[in-house]
Amino acid sequence: MHKIADVEIQHDIMVANKKLAQRNQRILDKANVFSVDVLGAIGSGKTSLIELLIKKSDEKIGVIAGDVISKFDAGRFQQYDIPVVGLNTGKECHLDAHLVEHAIEDMPLDEIDTLYIENVGNLICPVDFDLGSHMRMVVISVSEGDDTVEKHPLIFKDADLIVINKIDIADAVGADAEKMVKDAKYLNPDVKIIKSSLKTEEGLNEIIKAIKDFRDSIN
Amino acid sequence: MHELSMADAIVKTVLDVAEKNQAEEILEVTIEVGKLTMLNPEQLRFLLDVLKENTLLEGAEIIIEEIPVEIKCLSCGYAGSTNLNDSDHYLMIVKCPECDERNLEIVTGQECNVKNIRIEKPE
Repeated sequence: MHKIADVEIQHDIMVANKKLAQRNQRILDKANVFSVDVLGAIGSGKTSLIELLIKKSDEKIGVIAGDVISKFDAGRFQQYDIPVVGLNTGKECHLDAHLVEHAIEDMPLDEIDTLYIENVGNLICPVDFDLGSHMRMVVISVSEGDDTVEKHPLIFKDADLIVINKIDIADAVGADAEKMVKDAKYLNPDVKIIKSSLKTEEGLNEIIKAIKDFRDSIN
Repeated sequence: MHELSMADAIVKTVLDVAEKNQAEEILEVTIEVGKLTMLNPEQLRFLLDVLKENTLLEGAEIIIEEIPVEIKCLSCGYAGSTNLNDSDHYLMIVKCPECDERNLEIVTGQECNVKNIRIEKPE
């Protein structure tokens, strides 16, 4: 004989990720490591910005380089002789807290004070996945089009720092950087927004200061 | 497209619970998906249909319930649903319908919850 039974599950996949993310943050806090989730569009300058931060800031930096195939970005960071963990997502369009948990295990946390986690270039999927980082920095560039911010409200709404890059070529690509700033301010009134040209290092010092200020503000 | 990883996590969760409850067949699965997640319910359903093949889930009916957005305004104290106005995609997430402020907490609308299953098991 068989019977029909209803079984309550109530397992929220989002909450499960969040719990793992909180655990990641506790591990980082214990090691006194400040971490930044670097989000943004493909080709907006995420890797270039982290490279410049490695070169110009006085922090001891480690990088988790997440990508569909991570060896290209990881290779770029390795030349600076810093701890780098490549994280292949394969088919996946985003990092999640579980993937980052394993990458953190491979990161020598006692050798660093700041951990940059470069997410997969994507303005949509990473929104749903908290990694446990202390700060979320979103990097976009004018070449994606000046409607990029208004088309992806959620990622900008929760950002702690927004970098609008490649402003030196705004005219050439017909983009209005001020519109992007305005849209970002509308979504996230208190967020720090920095226009930059990482090629000429315009705005870089401001970015370094903004990251430091944010770190000080949560300590 | 992270519907695949979500569908995969859902299937694993369901099969795990079904096994623990000695299910011989899963008849029904109910999943709650918040309107603010970056998940498309139709894509999610398609992938679940693919992943359930050759498992206890094979014949199960998948029910996806969309969870509306509810907020708590930290400025005026309003708690409840927002005016969902699809013509302005900003409005639904950033403003309190009472005081127009943006300082708010999202109470529901962000879930991807495996709510319950109906199974057939031995007496």
